[in-house]
Amino acid sequence: MAVREGPRALDGIRVFEIGIAIASPSCGRYMAHHGAEVFKVESPTAPDVVRLLGSAWLRGDEERAFAMADSSPYVPEMNADKKSVALALKEPAAREAAHRLVANCDVFIANFAARALVDLGLDYETLREIKPDLIYVQLPGFGSDPSKPYYPYVAWGPNQAPLVGLDDMTGHADREPAGIATVAPPDYLSALHCTVAVLAGLEHRDSTGEGVHVDVAQFETTIGMLAPFAMEHSLTGTTTSRIGNRSLWYAPEGVYPCDGEERWIAISCDSDDAWDTLRAMAAPALDDPRFDTNEARMAVQDDLDAAVASWTVGYDNVDLAARLQTKGVTAHIVATNEDLLQDDHVKRRGWYEVNPSARFTRDVYSTNPVRLSETPGYSNRGGPSMGEHTVEVLTEVAGLSEAEVDELIGAGAAFTMVEPDVVLDRPYEQFLHLLLPVEDARDLS
Amino acid sequence: MSQPLSGLRVVDLSALGGAYGTRLMAALGAEVIKVEPPGGSPLRGLAPFAESAPDGEASLWWAFLAMGTKSVELDPETDDGRAAMADLLRGADIVVDEHGPDVLDELGLGYDDVSADNPGVIWVSITPFGLTGSKRSWSTSNLVAWAASSILYTVGFEDQPPANPGGPVQMAMHATALNATVGALMALRVRRATGRGQQVDLAISESALAIAPETTVPVFLDDQVHRVRTGNRRALSRPFGIYPCADGYVSILVLMPHHWAAMAEWVHEVTGNETIIEDVFADVVVRGESMELIDMWTEELTMQLSALEVFEEGQRRGIPITPVNTVEALRNDPHLAATGFWQQGEMPDGATVEVPGAPFRTSAAWWATSRAPLLGEHSAEILS
Repeated sequence: MAVREGPRALDGIRVFEIGIAIASPSCGRYMAHHGAEVFKVESPTAPDVVRLLGSAWLRGDEERAFAMADSSPYVPEMNADKKSVALALKEPAAREAAHRLVANCDVFIANFAARALVDLGLDYETLREIKPDLIYVQLPGFGSDPSKPYYPYVAWGPNQAPLVGLDDMTGHADREPAGIATVAPPDYLSALHCTVAVLAGLEHRDSTGEGVHVDVAQFETTIGMLAPFAMEHSLTGTTTSRIGNRSLWYAPEGVYPCDGEERWIAISCDSDDAWDTLRAMAAPALDDPRFDTNEARMAVQDDLDAAVASWTVGYDNVDLAARLQTKGVTAHIVATNEDLLQDDHVKRRGWYEVNPSARFTRDVYSTNPVRLSETPGYSNRGGPSMGEHTVEVLTEVAGLSEAEVDELIGAGAAFTMVEPDVVLDRPYEQFLHLLLPVEDARDLS
Repeated sequence: MSQPLSGLRVVDLSALGGAYGTRLMAALGAEVIKVEPPGGSPLRGLAPFAESAPDGEASLWWAFLAMGTKSVELDPETDDGRAAMADLLRGADIVVDEHGPDVLDELGLGYDDVSADNPGVIWVSITPFGLTGSKRSWSTSNLVAWAASSILYTVGFEDQPPANPGGPVQMAMHATALNATVGALMALRVRRATGRGQQVDLAISESALAIAPETTVPVFLDDQVHRVRTGNRRALSRPFGIYPCADGYVSILVLMPHHWAAMAEWVHEVTGNETIIEDVFADVVVRGESMELIDMWTEELTMQLSALEVFEEGQRRGIPITPVNTVEALRNDPHLAATGFWQQGEMPDGATVEVPGAPFRTSAAWWATSRAPLLGEHSAEILS
């Protein structure tokens, strides 16, 4: 775990982030990984939900309850390498400190409700007075225009995918929508749009000298992904809905059973060559003249899928996926979380970060998918503890005196981290060697 | 009007893994040149189609994803085509390539070849599993990307195979394309400081993995829970998940005590149910133990109302409820009508079609777009 250094793409950029859960924190994490200094402004009186989740292994442990707010794996997943500034923004003095921090930042990102930002004095109209060239990006569920019908509505996490049309597209055609439930793709897609908006905002500022306000209304942002189907409806009145694991373009595509309980393989047969290969490998299971052309296969997919399944079910899914890919057929096991733990490719790509935090000897979290060859992103610290950087940031960045900060803390308007008596180990030690490439794993000992 | 990406030239060699991102770059002011092989981009072959449009110009994927771009048709396998492609790449600020590892290198048109002449070029390599690692030569699809991410395994009903999240929407591909834009814009900042470009190694598999924290390793190490499929409701609470209503489905997420109080009161008012308001059901554990009963009582309410009625009245009562929108419902949604989200657009052949508007709204005028190009429409302009 040598400390990494070197220039990064967003060196020198300062970000004021006030967010909860995923949508804006995930954007802040992208920026921190690529060199920006990201201030996560939060409050122990109204904590981010990832602080409340805690960890399974600390639950009920009264002696170490002080670590609970830092212990959820989502804390580093969403917030690694950020600086935590704890302010009770309902207090006017804390709000004044926040404004002084904004005055020294380039970017403001938030996914609080639009109304809440107005109430906290953190709306664009207020902040542009303080910092005229601020790049201000907010992610309210339904936009920040109070005159629009759904403005006061709330849509968090699992409600987003149904709202934007993704759940109706998920599941088998003969049954009610399956829904995505466990994960929240719209939050991440909004975060990515937020990141694009911030980077475009920096271009805009550099060329015009001006700031900008960007409203990433999560409802509208994610619907753009369904554009071809919305256009189809506009032209023909047709409503495309869920089609299981099939493709609108080729067959077979699907999830097929393999040897063992709940072992599956995904196969996408997206070309004539791939089909010829699959057919030869599976002979005689697919030797049916109705399967000769893609068009013909598209018309008999129930029988086609049954025939493919009759072949796959005899094989180990890991071996079969490797064999298919070696011969040029697109396939992968349907990985469980335990499969991922054993995935050599993911490990060799360095997908997992292991770094210390104030609270833990080692935080474990995912890295960032954007890999720059000359200015690679990196992180050196796990998730911040609540208020870990309050004093440092308010004095060094916001320009408050130490006496002013002491006064804020004394008045309950700002908070510092509860110092650990001990730095805890997450109970993962026996797994870490599975997560890291050999040369990094050696550093662990 | 000053668009943030004005003056940038993007050479777009991408397919489904990059197109949403180059579309954004075009709408934000970049000149995006799609280099299409003889016969056209594979995107032109993707259903659904506009039946009235001529073959090759009828794909609604193309009509949307190529909006605001230019089209050049050339064959890099021929000497002339190869020379024209080399010229284009030499003049590019940003190249978005999705040919797969080594393909363009073998034609002498890869990043190393081009950056020798054009050291400022920013080269985004979109590949199925990345430029390195044991699966670098594997191919992918949207379904396979979800399969590898561990998300696919957790979606669907217990008694059926796992189900593709978002199905035909191809979400993993669009997430990748967004990452391509992020990587290109980050590299652009570096280039302004150093004058030098760089390569962005962007794996479709990792763009899907980045959406998967809820099902992937760090969370698994924490709680050691095997994420499994539980259909469209979760055992966490009740009512929690998708419920049928008079004309479709709604999503109801009642977890917090005050949400339950409002929900129970609503069911009581409408259906006359006296039992549901008893204190015992305020306990989320009790509701979990009697989930069939809670679900039945909930449906006695929802089945009397339309999805929009459940949504609006539920929200009025402060309960986190949304409709499970179909494409048709979204096209008729009153809020989207009020915000003017749906815009009049054009098909490549000039026919009109309604398209989604900008993905975000800006105080400065950033967003401008136009119809997707005909095959080779800009060949003469660009290649001369």
